[in-house]
Amino acid sequence: MENVWVLASVCVGLALLATLVAIWFKISTALSEIVVGTVAQLILGAFFVHSDLGAKTGWISFLAGTGAIVLMFLAGAELDPQIFRAKWKECTVVGLVGFFGPFLGCTAVAHYVLHWAVRSSWLAGVALSTTSVAVVYAVMLELGFNVTDFGKAVLAACFINDLGTVIALGLIFSPFTVKTVIFVVACMLVFATVPFLTPRFFKRYGGRVSEIEAKYLLFLLFAMGGLAVWAGSEAVLPAYVIGMVLAGTVGKDHILIRRLRTLTFGLLTPFYFIRAGSFVSIPALIATPLVFLALFFAKMFSKIIPLFPTVKAFDYQKEEGLYFTLMMSTGLTFGTISALFGLNHGVITQVQYSHLVATVIGSAVVPTMIANAWFMPRHLLAPRPEERTTLPQTLSKNAD
Amino acid sequence: MTGKRTNSHFRKLLVGYDGSPQSEKAVDVALSLAACLDATVLIFAVARPPEPATSVELGAVLDDAREHFEEGFKKILEKARSKDLAVATGMAVGHPGEQIIHRAEVDGVDLIILGRRGRSMISRMMLGSVSERVLRYAHCPVMVVH
Repeated sequence: MENVWVLASVCVGLALLATLVAIWFKISTALSEIVVGTVAQLILGAFFVHSDLGAKTGWISFLAGTGAIVLMFLAGAELDPQIFRAKWKECTVVGLVGFFGPFLGCTAVAHYVLHWAVRSSWLAGVALSTTSVAVVYAVMLELGFNVTDFGKAVLAACFINDLGTVIALGLIFSPFTVKTVIFVVACMLVFATVPFLTPRFFKRYGGRVSEIEAKYLLFLLFAMGGLAVWAGSEAVLPAYVIGMVLAGTVGKDHILIRRLRTLTFGLLTPFYFIRAGSFVSIPALIATPLVFLALFFAKMFSKIIPLFPTVKAFDYQKEEGLYFTLMMSTGLTFGTISALFGLNHGVITQVQYSHLVATVIGSAVVPTMIANAWFMPRHLLAPRPEERTTLPQTLSKNAD
Repeated sequence: MTGKRTNSHFRKLLVGYDGSPQSEKAVDVALSLAACLDATVLIFAVARPPEPATSVELGAVLDDAREHFEEGFKKILEKARSKDLAVATGMAVGHPGEQIIHRAEVDGVDLIILGRRGRSMISRMMLGSVSERVLRYAHCPVMVVH
């Protein structure tokens, strides 16, 4: 397909279909887009040999890459700096353990059990080391734990966990040269200065119809992404950290965040997730299902085994079981970005990519499916009315 | 208070609200009942996150739900004020069935009123019916408005 507009209409049409599926079945749009991308590519491949969704076309790669960068920025901007400051010891230790457990465990399983090459195994470790902040936060809101000290610490730990993933992705696969040093120094300077410069710049020039805030942020993200790629690193690394350092200022600008969300969901992420799904080979998954199972269980066990004693060491004994389960869920965004990075840079093959994405989806979906399948109102199992006395911050002001 | 039954068993009513025409109908029934029984009404909405939740989408869903419900609550409260009824509103996040059951129990609600969405068979199998779950597990009588 060489006609740009035909290709664009196919991609956006698939995104539309994926969104409808997400609405009908109340699943996340990201998951729906990955699955629709996979199935669409399978159908297209079956009927038209050598035909694809234009996943390797330059402009689709650009839109998809921008989607990943902005998604990572927005994900980082959701951090609550006050929680982090208050609980930095616990969340740093728990977050690092939550990262290193599956990172090392899945790398070992990929290398010694599945006999993947060293670099491919490291990539598997990175892709499966993430924790889904959103899954943890959603359940916290449901149970009212988002306002407890334990809940806040676990949430901040999830950000540290994902920061570990992003740093590992950005540095492990890049050659260590003078460029790396320049990149790291530039990052330090930018991360230290933007929290002071950005609010002042927005105060002086912001609030106009020309959307100068969005242009400023995109410039910052593209420039740092360009520097990262020049140094052989990954553009999402600075994007996530910029999001984190701006969380206390730009992250609280609700209107700006909503505009960025509209741009991201409406135009960018459909290309990213559909493209990510189109690289998944279903025949490869069917041919070797045990690889998926090995990676899936490696992820689960390597997350829970080191986390259990760590959380206990901080005297959090009451609800740890629940949060261990939650922290086993892999973030779709971080997981697929890592796997796609590996595929694009020749670190993993398409078959390995398919298994990694399937595992990422599996570890995000299976805990939810289990919870739904064995649905039982919690109050019948263990009545604890004090659990849910406070509504989430965003909704509490509407409570009666 | 002419015509009101002040010794009624149903003193506190909870209405599950999602902004759909069916839930609006349930609200109307609840307001009529409250006027007859001199009962208080809690209009309760639940924002359901997509599964599995993803970072940016979760925030967007919660923001949208808050705005959507706030708008609906405003209209209901105006209607209640014109009828001189005691109506409160509340929101939660999670599975609607479970949150309704829990809130009803915590608040000591005497009657839960829900609208029936009439979902397709596939949708019911995938998502489960809120009214069926509430009917099965609630501690108090449940009224489903068709």
